[in-house]
Amino acid sequence: MAYMLTILTTTLITMISVVGVYLLTGMTGMFSLGQAAFMAIGAYASGLLVTKVGMAFPLACIVAVALSVGVGWLIGMPTVRLRRDYISLATLGFGEAVAALLNKATKLTGGASGFVGIPAITTFPMVLISTIVIIAMVAMFKNSKFGRQCSAIRCDELAAKAMGINVPWIKMVVFLFSVAVTAYSGCLYAFYTTYVDPSLFGWKKSADWVIMVFFGGSGSLTGSILATIILTGLPEALRFLSDYRSIFYAALVLLILNFKPSGLLNTWELTPRNIKSLFHRTDDVTGSMPTKKPMKN
Amino acid sequence: MSLQIIINGLALGSVYALIATGFALIFNVLKFSNFAHGAMMTCGAFVGYFLAAGKGFGLFPTILISMIAGGVIGIGGEFIAFKRIIANHSSHIYFFVSSITLGTLLEGIVTLKVGANFYNYPRFFKVATINIGNIIISKSDAMMFCFSTMALLLLWYIIRYTKQGRAIRSVSFDRDTASLMGINVESVILITFFVSGALAGLAGVFLGINYTLYPTLGSLVVKGFIASVIGGLGSLPGAIIGAVFLGLLETLLIHTVGSGYAPALTFSVMLIFLLVRPQGISGSNIQEKA
Repeated sequence: MAYMLTILTTTLITMISVVGVYLLTGMTGMFSLGQAAFMAIGAYASGLLVTKVGMAFPLACIVAVALSVGVGWLIGMPTVRLRRDYISLATLGFGEAVAALLNKATKLTGGASGFVGIPAITTFPMVLISTIVIIAMVAMFKNSKFGRQCSAIRCDELAAKAMGINVPWIKMVVFLFSVAVTAYSGCLYAFYTTYVDPSLFGWKKSADWVIMVFFGGSGSLTGSILATIILTGLPEALRFLSDYRSIFYAALVLLILNFKPSGLLNTWELTPRNIKSLFHRTDDVTGSMPTKKPMKN
Repeated sequence: MSLQIIINGLALGSVYALIATGFALIFNVLKFSNFAHGAMMTCGAFVGYFLAAGKGFGLFPTILISMIAGGVIGIGGEFIAFKRIIANHSSHIYFFVSSITLGTLLEGIVTLKVGANFYNYPRFFKVATINIGNIIISKSDAMMFCFSTMALLLLWYIIRYTKQGRAIRSVSFDRDTASLMGINVESVILITFFVSGALAGLAGVFLGINYTLYPTLGSLVVKGFIASVIGGLGSLPGAIIGAVFLGLLETLLIHTVGSGYAPALTFSVMLIFLLVRPQGISGSNIQEKA
């Protein structure tokens, strides 16, 4: 039972990060391959503040998140104005630079052998509540004015610009929001496992998160959540195949990308209205679930 | 900057140039960043390792066969991950996710074959260095420099002066119009993937000779990405200039501030470039078409 609870907690922590990536990739179409580095900053900063400075955990979280947002602003400033490939490449380089710094600053962070001695503060209820609150925040953000502007940017950046949307500004807001969410998940992670090391936060991790968002359907928050459950739970279920795990995982994602490019749920969201229409599907001629429903607010 | 640093920097830069060019070639033709490039390098490096250490091949056959193997892996990757996406004219977001997944797949296969251990290439030279005065040139560095230069010159000749090269250039300019002009776009894309894979294989062997081999060697591809960004995304001369610049810069930084802080500083240089001159050194910026 305790084992199940551990898996559940880590899945929820991953879910927070994936929801952060969903904000960025699913809603705006930007790719960050250094997102895990912001998780590292959150984890290390809060860990250091609690163990070395003796700050209280909630305050340390806030400071760590604020610090990540500050760093994110520095990284975002030159990159959000450019083509989307630049964002992924710049954040990728950023992630590697952070990993190198964490490896080098042995006195402060323990270097490659890891940062030990973080107290275990994170509990399952705390993670669950955080996840729910963050998902609710993101869902509200999606339905707000910002969220609709983001969708416009994702569909056609040029047209969005022509309609008077301040593209760099919106991109920056979303980027910083997603950085804050990811950094917070880093805080939770550090105080759950009580041990972090730089290799946990490589660009492969950020890439995994992007893959999860796409697997679930790039326009759907529900899809990202579902994909996290499937793709984080799947490796556990496939533990007996240990060596073949990553191959199986990659093959599954490639199959989805090739044969159902819109992901599992496309843009379908789990809202009371959509559930109702799922049960009385009379107006739906195609009969397939992921059809685009006009959003009414 | 002493002559020694310049020489070491040039050798490092020449390997980065191979990585960056292979990466830029795909970007040039298909307009997406191929994140599987690193894994292709790893595959090439391990093919070379098994030939050299297992079968006792010499330097030249090892390099040649690894290049061909890299090219074949490139074509295979195109078949598995990109063919349908290209055919569907999907948004290039899908290329991105597909290439990352392809990288995971290739890396998984390599890990399955070799485990998470470290490997060393056999030594190809009896005497490892040439001493000229007080300057030490490692023979493998010199060899790397010569081979990279030759490969890149050959590539330049092919792209500039041959029929296939002209086809590649026109496809990179406008895929649909090129196809209307009677160019077989599919075969051009296959050739591009073959060449890019071959360059990755060559770079992999060189990285293997100079460093220890391990299944995640591909993460060194980040240097190629940074070089590409500095030089200008998608521009081949830009990639080479950026790579040589990065090699020199990195050697100098390792010499002055140590290997720990060098990556952070090179990254800062990249950020400054993005801020001041986003189109890179070469100046050709790929604009999004309206």
